[in-house]
Amino acid sequence: MHDEPHEIAAENLTYTYPGMSRPALYGVSHRFRQGEFHAVLGRNGSGKSTLALCLNGLITPGEGRVLSCGLDTSVPTNASEIRKQVAIVFQTPDTRMVGSTVEEEVAFGPENLGLSPLVIRKRVDEALELAGIEDIARRQPQQLSLGQKQLVAVAGAIAMEPSFLISDESTSMLDVRSRAGVLKLFADLQERGVGIVHVTHFLEEAAIADQVVILESGRIAGTGPPGELLSDPTRVRNLGLDPLPATMVAEELAALGHHTGGYILTAEELLLWSRA
Amino acid sequence: MVSRLSLKDVSYSYPFQDAMALSGINLETRPGEVFCIAGSNGSGKSTLAQICAGLLTPTSGSVLYDGKPARSGSRLLNLHRNVGLLFQSPEDQLFADTVRKDIEFGPRNQGLRGDDLAARVIDAARLVGLPLQDTGGRSPFSLSEGEKRRVALAGVLAMNPEILVLDEPFIGLDHDGREHLISALSSYVENKLATIVLVTHDLSGAWPLASRFALLSESRLVGIESKADLVLGNTDMLALGVRLPQWGVLAKELLHAGIPVEDPSDPSCLAKALVRRREVRDDR
Amino acid sequence: MTGNDIAIGQYLAVETPLNRMDPRLKLVMVVACVVMVFLYGTGWELLSFSVLLLVVLAATRLPLLPVLRSLETVWVIVLITFLLQAFLTPGEVMWHWGFLSVTDTGLSNGITLSARVLLLVLLLTALTMSTAPLDLADGLQSLLRPLAYLKVPVSRVTTVVSITLMFIPGILEQSRKLVKAQMARGADFESANIFRRVKDIVPVLVPIFVKVFHDADDLALAMDARVYDGGKNRTRLHPLKIGVLETILTVLFISTAITIKFVL
Repeated sequence: MHDEPHEIAAENLTYTYPGMSRPALYGVSHRFRQGEFHAVLGRNGSGKSTLALCLNGLITPGEGRVLSCGLDTSVPTNASEIRKQVAIVFQTPDTRMVGSTVEEEVAFGPENLGLSPLVIRKRVDEALELAGIEDIARRQPQQLSLGQKQLVAVAGAIAMEPSFLISDESTSMLDVRSRAGVLKLFADLQERGVGIVHVTHFLEEAAIADQVVILESGRIAGTGPPGELLSDPTRVRNLGLDPLPATMVAEELAALGHHTGGYILTAEELLLWSRA
Repeated sequence: MVSRLSLKDVSYSYPFQDAMALSGINLETRPGEVFCIAGSNGSGKSTLAQICAGLLTPTSGSVLYDGKPARSGSRLLNLHRNVGLLFQSPEDQLFADTVRKDIEFGPRNQGLRGDDLAARVIDAARLVGLPLQDTGGRSPFSLSEGEKRRVALAGVLAMNPEILVLDEPFIGLDHDGREHLISALSSYVENKLATIVLVTHDLSGAWPLASRFALLSESRLVGIESKADLVLGNTDMLALGVRLPQWGVLAKELLHAGIPVEDPSDPSCLAKALVRRREVRDDR
Repeated sequence: MTGNDIAIGQYLAVETPLNRMDPRLKLVMVVACVVMVFLYGTGWELLSFSVLLLVVLAATRLPLLPVLRSLETVWVIVLITFLLQAFLTPGEVMWHWGFLSVTDTGLSNGITLSARVLLLVLLLTALTMSTAPLDLADGLQSLLRPLAYLKVPVSRVTTVVSITLMFIPGILEQSRKLVKAQMARGADFESANIFRRVKDIVPVLVPIFVKVFHDADDLALAMDARVYDGGKNRTRLHPLKIGVLETILTVLFISTAITIKFVL
């Protein structure tokens, strides 16, 4: 959507919630790039949601800084420009909806940008189409299923035409079918050049990312491509996460004296090995 | 043994809504079993949980407790006092100003006082792994999400219910929290010969506990399956919106690719099957 | 108690003339009515206005009565207001039981005061039921805009109002959930009378507000993330437009309400 790719750079980011003694994030540095899919993985209380809120300046770091598309999130006058560029969707859509119909809900962001009704109309229609929910445009959000509500929330973010979309555990309450729908939409957006930052505790969702960031007690416990970070079941277990079963099978294969060569995360990769 | 809780032709529709939330549900639970009701968001499973606990009255059909319909009056109150319901969100359940008072609420309504009451609270807190001496006097709302869930469960367990209905108890819990809950629930069932009705869209937590899985789709019951049926059978779990444990998904994919799987839950069995397949290819 | 019925203040997306009306006109109308309800001095004035209002509301076919009927708390407040006035106002004694006596002024004060409370609830319910919270907030922002020149923080006021409006239904919804949670743990609500039930609500008020404030916080954050600043520079997908007919009807309605005061 833009000529030169943007990035969100967290630089030595430290954040402590008011009234807490221990920082929720400590010395976190990472570059999220436009057009890439980055997954932020960690157990409850690891600081992953806090990181999500820092990326578009909804909370501002105590130490270090976050540059979102070149703008320092600590500078109050940057807030609206940053939020235009970096949209966010949350875990529970129910309590965060404002519109009385789906299309008004999706229109809410562009309306706040002061765009003309015609431009808003165009953006809303495009976002609804991309999310595949044109048919429910006139329905009331309260009457929708949780999965549909989350698609509406993502459409509302898309209508802002952002460079980045932050997903703060947006799939964790959803059933698998709805989750697949939301993840497919993220992939479509990535194809259109949007950078996705997906916070999750599902390993299988992190496995489809370009880059994985693992957080543990507020610190980065590892960054890299999923194969590198997630293929060792013992390491994953030590982080308090469930290893991918294919990695456990690959481990058994190694114990049987069969080394698989590359990283194995999925059934497909196991089958590929068996056919090689 | 007689089923303590069963549903007969239960249908339900919410006021001011045309669509049925549930239609024609028949269920029978057995003492000492964990019975899982699996379905997607919006399949009617939370409604079903509330019907089992007597909080919603079926539009037609009936909930039978000890073989007798519990619709109103003392029979309904009896159902409320013997069937414990854990709500999906602890915020919808907790209300007292201290953790201890919240856990005491249920047993108090059952008429317990003094030492009996204190013992119940201590037992329940121990079972869920809640350190009562630290947290007993605190407000439940000041606790972390995981601790809130423990208080909510303790409040239900303190009533010593014969039947426990749990609505999405594992959602939002990480690996450690889930393991802990699984062991607390399984020891409760074993010690009390209780029945648990577990409602969920993600089977990874229910898997080690449950033996029968009722599949709910668009307000109807479409089947009751065993674990083997779920993994080895042809039911399209993705279309149902129900998440199998990840190794179940893996086993299904391997089976689909023609690899014979004897014990789908054992990684080494899967590894050996893959090695055999590779060797067959090498021989050719 | 266990039903999922309509809550007070909840917006109802039904096709009525009142729903289609511009939110600014509705706001002006409600404010005018509230002022008049306090200005009316006699029971006859209040009665005439009530008849007028009920006729107009009936004509709009907004399903108000089922909502009002289910509002136990409102009826309890009205009843208490009435009894306090009737028993405690000095005047000529009409009846008495033991030390309690009802006076003529007490009775008439009781009636007018209860009527005022009922009318206010009716007016506000009609407004919030027929107007989406965001439309109401945008309408308010548009009406109050001139005040911004007097350094009144209009945007902040409209943000607070819009978030509050979105959470009125939440409060009732949440209290229903907690009553249910208590029933699930053996609390006996079925055989309790209305006063017991109201009394049982009191201890759950704190957790209800904890939850509602928490949700309101979430909503404020989500709105902030979508660049909402109280509607200062907002445009709308469907811009607000005041129609000729609805303006005429509003003026007519308000003039009738004023006429009642000076004619009777």
